[in-house]
Amino acid sequence: MASLTRIGVVCRIGAKPLLLSNTLLPRGLVAYQKSRDVEPFRLAVPQIQAAQSHTATSGSKAASMHWTSERVLSVLLLGMAPAAYLYPGPVLDYTVAAALTLHGHWGIGQVLTDYVHGKTKIRLAKAGLFTLSMVTFAGLCYFNYNDVGVCKAIAMLWRV
Amino acid sequence: MALLLRTVARQGLYSSRSQFGVLYRHAVPMGTTAKEEMNKFWAKNTRLNRPMSPHLTIYRWSIPMMMSITHRGTGVGLSAGISAFAIAALVLPGDYPQYLDMIHSWSFGPALITATKFALAFPVAYHTYNGIRHLIWDVGKGFKIPEVYRSGYVVIALSVLTSVALAAI
Repeated sequence: MASLTRIGVVCRIGAKPLLLSNTLLPRGLVAYQKSRDVEPFRLAVPQIQAAQSHTATSGSKAASMHWTSERVLSVLLLGMAPAAYLYPGPVLDYTVAAALTLHGHWGIGQVLTDYVHGKTKIRLAKAGLFTLSMVTFAGLCYFNYNDVGVCKAIAMLWRV
Repeated sequence: MALLLRTVARQGLYSSRSQFGVLYRHAVPMGTTAKEEMNKFWAKNTRLNRPMSPHLTIYRWSIPMMMSITHRGTGVGLSAGISAFAIAALVLPGDYPQYLDMIHSWSFGPALITATKFALAFPVAYHTYNGIRHLIWDVGKGFKIPEVYRSGYVVIALSVLTSVALAAI
C-alpha cells in the first residue's frame, strides 16, 4: 500500500506537466488522475466507470432536464387556465400560445419516440413535427395580433 | 534524479492508460443510455423476426390502461385541434367574429350547441385532470394498484362533472 501511495505521489508530480502539455487527453483520464491524487487505486475503478459513461451521463442529464422541463411547463399550464379566465389579454394570449405549442410539441415528440422507428423515419417525423409546431405557433401569434386573441376567442365561442 | 522521477511517472501514467483501456472495454455496457438499450431491443426484435409487442388483443382491457391511452388520445387530438385552428387562422379569409356569426346564423338547436361544448370541454378536462394524476405519480405517489384505480375514478368523475358544467354555461 505504501508503495502504491508513493507511485501516486510520483504520478502527481510527474503527471501535471504531462496533462498540461497534452490537452487532447480524454476527460476520463483527467478524472482518473484526479481520483488517483486522492487515493491511488481503490477509488479509481468506480471513478473510471463513471467517467467512461461521460457521454451517456451528459445525454441522460439532458434527458432528465427535458423531463423536468415538461413537468414545469405542465404545472405552468395548469396555472394559466384560471389566469386566462381572470385576466384575458395580450400577455396571456401569447403566453398560452407559446406554452400550448411547446406542450403539444413535446407531447407529440414522445408519441413519435414511442411509435416511429428507424433513423431516417425518426428524423423525418421530428422535422415534420418541428415544422408543424412552428406553423402552429406562428398561426396562434398571427391570431393574437390580427384577431381577438386566444383567451377572448374561447370566451366568445362559449357565448355562441 | 529528476529524470528517474519522470521516467517512473511516465511509466505510471502509461500503465494507468493501458489499464484504463482494459477497463474501458468492460465499462462500455454499463455506459449505455436508455436510447441505446431501446435500439438494441428493436434491432434484436427485427433480427429474430419477432411479432410486435404489446399484443393489444391478448390483454383484458383495464380502466388504468384505457385511461392511459385516452390521455394520449386526447393529447394528440387537442394538439391537432390547436394546429388546425392556427393554420385556419393563417389561411382562411375573414376574422374570427365573422365565423362565429356564421355559426350563429345557422341557428343550431341548444341541444347540439351543448353537445358540441361537451365534446370540446371533455378532452380538455380529462387531459387536465389526468395530467394532474400523472404529476402526482411523477413525485412518486399513488402507485399502489388500488390507488391507481381510485385516482382513475376520481379523474373520470371530475372530468364528466366539469365538462357537463362547462357545456351548461
